[in-house]
Amino acid sequence: MTKASRQSSSYEMVLIFRLSGEAFAISVSRVHEILDPIPVTEVPNATAFAPALVNVRGAIVPLIDIRQRLRMQPERPSNSTRLVVLELPVAGIPTRLAIMTDAVEEVAETDISALEPIPDLGSRWPEQYVSGVIRHGSDLAIFLDTENLFCPDPERAA
Amino acid sequence: MDDINPAIGAFVQEAQEILEGLEDLLLDLEDRSDPEQIDAVFRTLHTVKGSGAMFGFGTLARFTHHFEDAFDRVREGRLSIDGRLIDLSLRARDHMIALLNCGGDGPQATALEEAPEAIALLAALFEITGSETSKTTGGNEDTETTAPVQQPGTARRWLIRFVPEVNALRNGMRPDLLIEELGGLGPVDVSADITALPSMDELEPTRGYLGWTIKLETDQPKSAIEAVFIFADDAELAITEEMIAPPAKADPSEVEPSSSNVREKSGESVRVPAAKLDEIMDQLGELVIAQARLCQMASADAELESVVEEIERLVTGLRDATLSIRMLPIEVVFGKFRRVVRDLSTELGKVVTLITEGGETEIDKTVIDRLSEPLVHMIRNSMDHGIESGGARTAAGKPSRGTVRLSARQEGGEVLITIKDDGAGLDAEAIRLKAIERGLLSPEAQPTESELFQLIFAPGFSTAKQVSSVSGRGVGMDAVRSTVDALRGSIEVASRRGTGTRVTLRLPVTLAIIDGLLVRLGNAVFVIPLAAVEECVELDAAERQRESGRTMLCIREHLVPFLDLDEVFGWPPSVESRRRVVIVKFDGQRLGLVVDDILGQNQTVIKTFSQYHRDVPGFAGATILGDGSVALIIDVATLARRALAERIERKPAA
Repeated sequence: MTKASRQSSSYEMVLIFRLSGEAFAISVSRVHEILDPIPVTEVPNATAFAPALVNVRGAIVPLIDIRQRLRMQPERPSNSTRLVVLELPVAGIPTRLAIMTDAVEEVAETDISALEPIPDLGSRWPEQYVSGVIRHGSDLAIFLDTENLFCPDPERAA
Repeated sequence: MDDINPAIGAFVQEAQEILEGLEDLLLDLEDRSDPEQIDAVFRTLHTVKGSGAMFGFGTLARFTHHFEDAFDRVREGRLSIDGRLIDLSLRARDHMIALLNCGGDGPQATALEEAPEAIALLAALFEITGSETSKTTGGNEDTETTAPVQQPGTARRWLIRFVPEVNALRNGMRPDLLIEELGGLGPVDVSADITALPSMDELEPTRGYLGWTIKLETDQPKSAIEAVFIFADDAELAITEEMIAPPAKADPSEVEPSSSNVREKSGESVRVPAAKLDEIMDQLGELVIAQARLCQMASADAELESVVEEIERLVTGLRDATLSIRMLPIEVVFGKFRRVVRDLSTELGKVVTLITEGGETEIDKTVIDRLSEPLVHMIRNSMDHGIESGGARTAAGKPSRGTVRLSARQEGGEVLITIKDDGAGLDAEAIRLKAIERGLLSPEAQPTESELFQLIFAPGFSTAKQVSSVSGRGVGMDAVRSTVDALRGSIEVASRRGTGTRVTLRLPVTLAIIDGLLVRLGNAVFVIPLAAVEECVELDAAERQRESGRTMLCIREHLVPFLDLDEVFGWPPSVESRRRVVIVKFDGQRLGLVVDDILGQNQTVIKTFSQYHRDVPGFAGATILGDGSVALIIDVATLARRALAERIERKPAA
């Protein structure tokens, strides 16, 4: 490894979770907490992307269904279903939101500078929501572009 | 603007308030011009001039100086008050506000100072004061701002002891400028008090340790001296008269009340940023929720229950106290309309009197902040469309002077604001034709009069035959309704041809906490704001009638349209046999909302939606119930309007 490449490498902690068997990664700095499933309140006439609200320790938090944007089929809750509460700027406003995952796997350290563009399976994932893939053991994990993924208005997502 | 010096921020805020008061003073002058009133105007201008120069608002100070000159002349009886002077003064005041909003000297302020309008204003001021116009925009007129206003009169000698607060220097206070300004009032003899000065190694350079004793000889009243120190209200200040000269000519009764006013202002009230109040309100909201939960858990234990009752009492008290802090008298908004009515009277060539009533009625600050614009729209509408021209009024046997009456009163948890004019009234037939032309109404529809009147709030509706600069563009009333909706209020219109129109706004006293009715639909619980609820009835299937494609419900011989919430929410129809109807009112009509059950009443803290749900129609926000679950709060007006509009859209297809 040359000196230059070592300088540009930046290690970051990521949370690895699964949706329908696929591994996804999100920066740990965005993760507020991980919860067992809690009751959700459906919002009538809301979009399928943000269908409900949950009470996270006294705060009302929107529940976001990222499968919608990742073109994935819905899955039934199981024993391993977890709610991941994130805190991140959405359209410039700090926002707390929750996503439902099939399972939360681990927190891993990864070299963000070694992020690879999505190989041949590029057509499967809408590219504006995905930053690239990272190595996760022998597997690959999709590193999500939280900025675009959680944008309330899909038209604005670049 | 974030790193603005807090002292300058305080100056801008205070000056803004002072200038708002100035508008009232000027308008009062038009009706009654006693010397006290004129003095008050003069003092106001003098204060703004002096402190403006001190806080780096040189352009403002320079302009105010000329304005002040004019009133100096009025004070001396060399200039009389007439409509022209008031017009000019009001415009000058507006210019001062514009200069103040520049946030100090800079390119923006200079541009304003050199704008043709400003120069015209100055020229007009010079014309009445008789000064030469050569020094319109001179840059170095600093001496002017503190120019002594020497008048022949009995000079009095004052002993002023002034000790700034230790941190005042850090906040940008400049004792030297204050003393210099005092020098403008008359000859001064200044001595510094250095007794508080610590030894060198203990000295903190940013702290102020000095005090001053100033002997001042002036013919100005005590209030003029106090005005110099008006923005140094943390300082220790004592102004005493040295009784060496023969007793002063100035009326002491005039000086005393004003000085006690100043003391009352600084000592008995605290200026708090609104954000801090919001924070308290948030915390209180959490407390109310936690208390509701506690209440639910305690019902099994008698001993615990008594404690919970105690807590409930305390929370209620705390809530009322906190809400009352946020309350302001509605006068704050009403005051602005005198100017609006005056300006419009001139513009429209109509003589109109504004009468305000119930200005002491209190309402939440958030509501007040958003209320003034819709009220302006409505007053303009009354004056432009409602009130007829003088000739038409005389022909109709009415006094040629029109009247707009603006009144407020509290009724339960709501504040009712009424705008009533004695104009021509609404022309129901003209509204009907217009609505048909605009496609807002089908030609065969037979709406009631009140339904017709509601149409004036529809987007793009305007019955004015001619569009004036004031109104008639059809945007105003639409904006009024959306503001009132956002405040969870409602609008009612009553009108009689030839006699006038009355528009009533019903607004909640507060936006933070509402009394809600809990209803169940399937497994979900919703909250309907109690203010919108008229009554609850059982839904007897036999009472349902299908009439003219509309689903109606017969309640005590009155037909009431109803909405099935299942249908509105796009849910499968309820299979429960005994259902209930909550009768709500919106836009002056009654409407039934069908639900599965009514669970009871509770006090609800409204949490507004995040960006993800803000555009979902029909909800005002959400709340957390005693059992920890989230319930949605129904916004009756938007829900009903949308659902009824959809129903009308669907009708032609069926």
